Amino acid sequence: MQRTRRDILLFMGGGAAGAVLTPAPWRLVTDAALWSENWPGVPRPARGEITARYTNCALCPAGCAVRARCVSGQPVSLAGVPSHPLSQGALCAFGLTGHHLPYHPQRLTHGPVEEAAAAVSAAMAKRGPGESVAVLDLRPGRSASWTYRRSMAAVNNGLYLAPPRPLGGAAVDLAKARIVLSLGAALLDGWGTPGNVHAARANFHLIQAEPWQSPTAALADQWLPIRPGSEPALALALANVLNDPKTALSEAAEATGLTDKQIVELAHELVRNGPALVLSADDLPEALALNQALGAWGRTLVARAEAPVPEPWKKAAPERAVASVPDASIRVLFIDESVPGDHIPWSAIERKLVRDNPVVVTFAWSRQGYGRHAQFALPTAVYPELTADIPPAIDSPSAAFRLSASLMAPPAGMVDASAFIAKAAGIDAANALQQRADAIHKSGQGTLFTCADAKSTPLKDVKPADFWKALNEGACWQSGAGDSPAHSVGRAGAPTAFVGPPAFLSSPQQSTAFPLVVAFSGPHAMSLASPLMSKLYQDSDLRLAPNTAALHPDTARAAGIAGDSRALLETPFGRCPIAVVPDSSVPPGMLEVAPGPEVLDICGADTRAKVVAA
Amino acid sequence: MTSNREHQKAASRYGMTIDLDRCTGCGACMVACAVENNVPPAHEGAPARKGVTWIRVFKVDNGEDYPANRSVFVPVLCQQCGEDTPCVHVCPQQAVEVDPATGIVGQMPERCLGCRYCMAACPYHARYFNWWDPQWPAGMEKTLNPNVAPRMRGVVEKCNFCHGRWHAAKERAAAAGKSGIEAGDYVPACVESCPAGAIRFGDLNDSSSQPALAAKDPHSFRLLEKLGTEPKIYYHSQRDWVRQVAAAPKPPSAKESARG
Amino acid sequence: MRIRGYLVFLAGTLAALGAGWIGFPYAIYTSRPQPVDFSHKVHAEKAGAKCDDCHAFRDDGTFAGIPSLDKCAGCHTAPMGATVAEKNFIDNYVTPNREPAWDSYARQPENVFFSHITHVKLGQLKCEQCHGDQGASDKLRPYQEDRISGYSRDIWGRTPFEGAGAGAVPGMKMDDCVDCHHKHGLSHSCLDCHK
Repeated sequence: MQRTRRDILLFMGGGAAGAVLTPAPWRLVTDAALWSENWPGVPRPARGEITARYTNCALCPAGCAVRARCVSGQPVSLAGVPSHPLSQGALCAFGLTGHHLPYHPQRLTHGPVEEAAAAVSAAMAKRGPGESVAVLDLRPGRSASWTYRRSMAAVNNGLYLAPPRPLGGAAVDLAKARIVLSLGAALLDGWGTPGNVHAARANFHLIQAEPWQSPTAALADQWLPIRPGSEPALALALANVLNDPKTALSEAAEATGLTDKQIVELAHELVRNGPALVLSADDLPEALALNQALGAWGRTLVARAEAPVPEPWKKAAPERAVASVPDASIRVLFIDESVPGDHIPWSAIERKLVRDNPVVVTFAWSRQGYGRHAQFALPTAVYPELTADIPPAIDSPSAAFRLSASLMAPPAGMVDASAFIAKAAGIDAANALQQRADAIHKSGQGTLFTCADAKSTPLKDVKPADFWKALNEGACWQSGAGDSPAHSVGRAGAPTAFVGPPAFLSSPQQSTAFPLVVAFSGPHAMSLASPLMSKLYQDSDLRLAPNTAALHPDTARAAGIAGDSRALLETPFGRCPIAVVPDSSVPPGMLEVAPGPEVLDICGADTRAKVVAA
Repeated sequence: MTSNREHQKAASRYGMTIDLDRCTGCGACMVACAVENNVPPAHEGAPARKGVTWIRVFKVDNGEDYPANRSVFVPVLCQQCGEDTPCVHVCPQQAVEVDPATGIVGQMPERCLGCRYCMAACPYHARYFNWWDPQWPAGMEKTLNPNVAPRMRGVVEKCNFCHGRWHAAKERAAAAGKSGIEAGDYVPACVESCPAGAIRFGDLNDSSSQPALAAKDPHSFRLLEKLGTEPKIYYHSQRDWVRQVAAAPKPPSAKESARG
Repeated sequence: MRIRGYLVFLAGTLAALGAGWIGFPYAIYTSRPQPVDFSHKVHAEKAGAKCDDCHAFRDDGTFAGIPSLDKCAGCHTAPMGATVAEKNFIDNYVTPNREPAWDSYARQPENVFFSHITHVKLGQLKCEQCHGDQGASDKLRPYQEDRISGYSRDIWGRTPFEGAGAGAVPGMKMDDCVDCHHKHGLSHSCLDCHK
């Protein structure tokens, strides 16, 4: 046929003209757009019935109340409980993302449970004379802590170790304070219970004595810039001035960078505008002495009280500090880091272990932390899976008992630390939480706050079964103001005044070998929190990234570190790699660091450091 | 069938007031926003500052040297410009509009084609581009909020005053037979989460609401007011230097700092 | 000779028109039956069920949608009639406790917010006004889905001939929502329906 090719082209042209007049091409374009929007990689949120469940946050000692919004039982967002007497409806960035932790990429999913149990019983049986079994409990005061203490009392040469209680075992009554001198304590940035602090803020005048302008210093009524590391000198000088107005202040003035007159006026201001309270970042004995001189004891500082315990529990090993244990004497060490607590540098712990084949078992929910150094790292449930009690926070003047109630089931294979240790020690510690709740209920004191209806009921009007049910729904028991302290922790009276040379002057070698004072920026390790915390340090400049330090440019240059780069952080406890960013608002002589586990390993309280080029 | 017209209530104009004398820079608002709106964490291997932060807290200094340096924390989110809204003007897809019922500048990511013209137009840098598909660690997608649709890569997104919560509040009101919502029924996630109570939310058309009162306060200011965008976020500070820095034509002299 | 060219061109046009208007709708949609041969009519007549006996509102006003297996198993643990469909249902779903994978004709895309309670309680709409005579049907019609976008035929696209073709229901597409809102003087800005 002639012109076949032209026919085909004409036919196709006609087809194209016709096609344009049909829905087909337009529909294909819209469909392509829709197809490109429904990318299979983009997850679709699950739908379902929306319910609210209540619990308390286990991520820090504050234990703020939490209302979880759940879809078909799965928590999808967390919020505070307004009108809660302890937390006032506030939650911090960690608490708001707690429901992500079960899915954390660093989560420990399995561990050598049987091998650990076998190694533990073998080592416990074959101990030499003077070799001990110890439990290191990073957050003492829980019912699980009592289980450990009872276990160690039941074992020959058993030790219960805990970090020293802050403020020597006292509690703070912030509502009574009218003037607060904070020596570097991050009062507005993670101290105590944030909701409680913000609720009380309008009642007191805040003086922040600190070498750098931290977030707390930025919002304080007065920022008192002092030289890095001079907090003990300032506290001691103020205490001495109050005891003897004619005290010589030249040493203190030189150490702090303040004038004599400023120190004297500050002391008088604290007395004049009392009741006063003094807080410090590290637990300074000088600060406690100053508190005593200001008459804080019994007013803004009270004896810490914890909820009653069953009588049989009182046969328990006492709390001891790691430092009080003889070196190379621990054969078996259990470390409970299933809930975050104060960190002790690993080297300070390691020296207490026997040299030949100690057995170290850690109970943690993540692969970071002491598990890196242990023979057996056993996985535990993580908040919000676990049910555990939360001791009262440092700013809770009355005893409190609340549960972090389980919102979701933990995966299979998780270990219950207190059950494991109790079994190793041969005691029965099942139902410890319920036993403690019964003991509290028997005392008949205090009130119960239930979250759903925001009501406070006197405990004597609550039936025991209802009490236990309410606790498992996030309710909070508090002892009343006039009730006898249920169980006091720490010293019965005020500490005696500290008289002696300030710590920093006594080790000049340390100050030249390790010239930088370390300040932690931000509350505990952000790398152990939800991946969303990267909003705060990677997607913005609000916080330093974990294992990153800020230095004054002059300090960095003197150490041979150029600009934004990697370096080594060295302390008497060891060294670790960090990233360094220059920041001229950090004064020379100071290092501001966001702690990750590696940094925490080498920085304890009041540590000095130096930075060297990598 | 009788048609049910909505009650002829005056439309709302939702706004905020942020008290800079209370903001501690804790970042709770930033993570609460990400949790509520299904914003993913930083992408694996992403360079810094390329992620999505519908609300972002900045630290602003007064430019002085130690010990006269002072800082303030300023949360910045979409200012919900009421007049001559720049992003609405420039969008070729009409993917943004000012909602007449609430005054919220609503971004529709499903219409967005990712040209980022709106990001250039926004004087507050409050708009963010999804350079990557959202990625959550395995299992964490179970914690997504069903009231908000996750976005794929290639689209711009920004704060919309958690209007998913506005939908939920209206649905609760409808279940109770009411056609309108009360003040306090609906608060965005950042407002609810701020531990210091620095962010307050309300209807600017309601003269008793916190933002409406703040609007009249002499210590309140808005960002870049001279541009005439009429933002609905009122910042408040008793500190003179904060207001002076906000009104200054240029920020204080840059300090040697790799942060902020 | 030129006529021949025009004719070929016209033939092409007609072929494209036919393919586009008749063939394309068949090709673009894929069809599959529902997992269970359920009869609304039987349940409405024999069991006296009304729409909201199974498609209920929860206490907080949210809509529960298609009932889950426990609703059906509440009556159908043992056969209640003699049909093959019911027997299949019990054997395949009730006994092994497996949720049927229903295809929801009206399931809107992720970015759409629709509140049933607002339309039912405040808008006084009846189920049939949007869902058609689904509730009186004896057999569930097949679920038709666009091959490329994955959307149900009911929620996206244009129906040029009202009532023609399978899957034409009164008001499930965005244009239908906007039309109805417009007709009743209600707001229909983006934010009203999109999330």
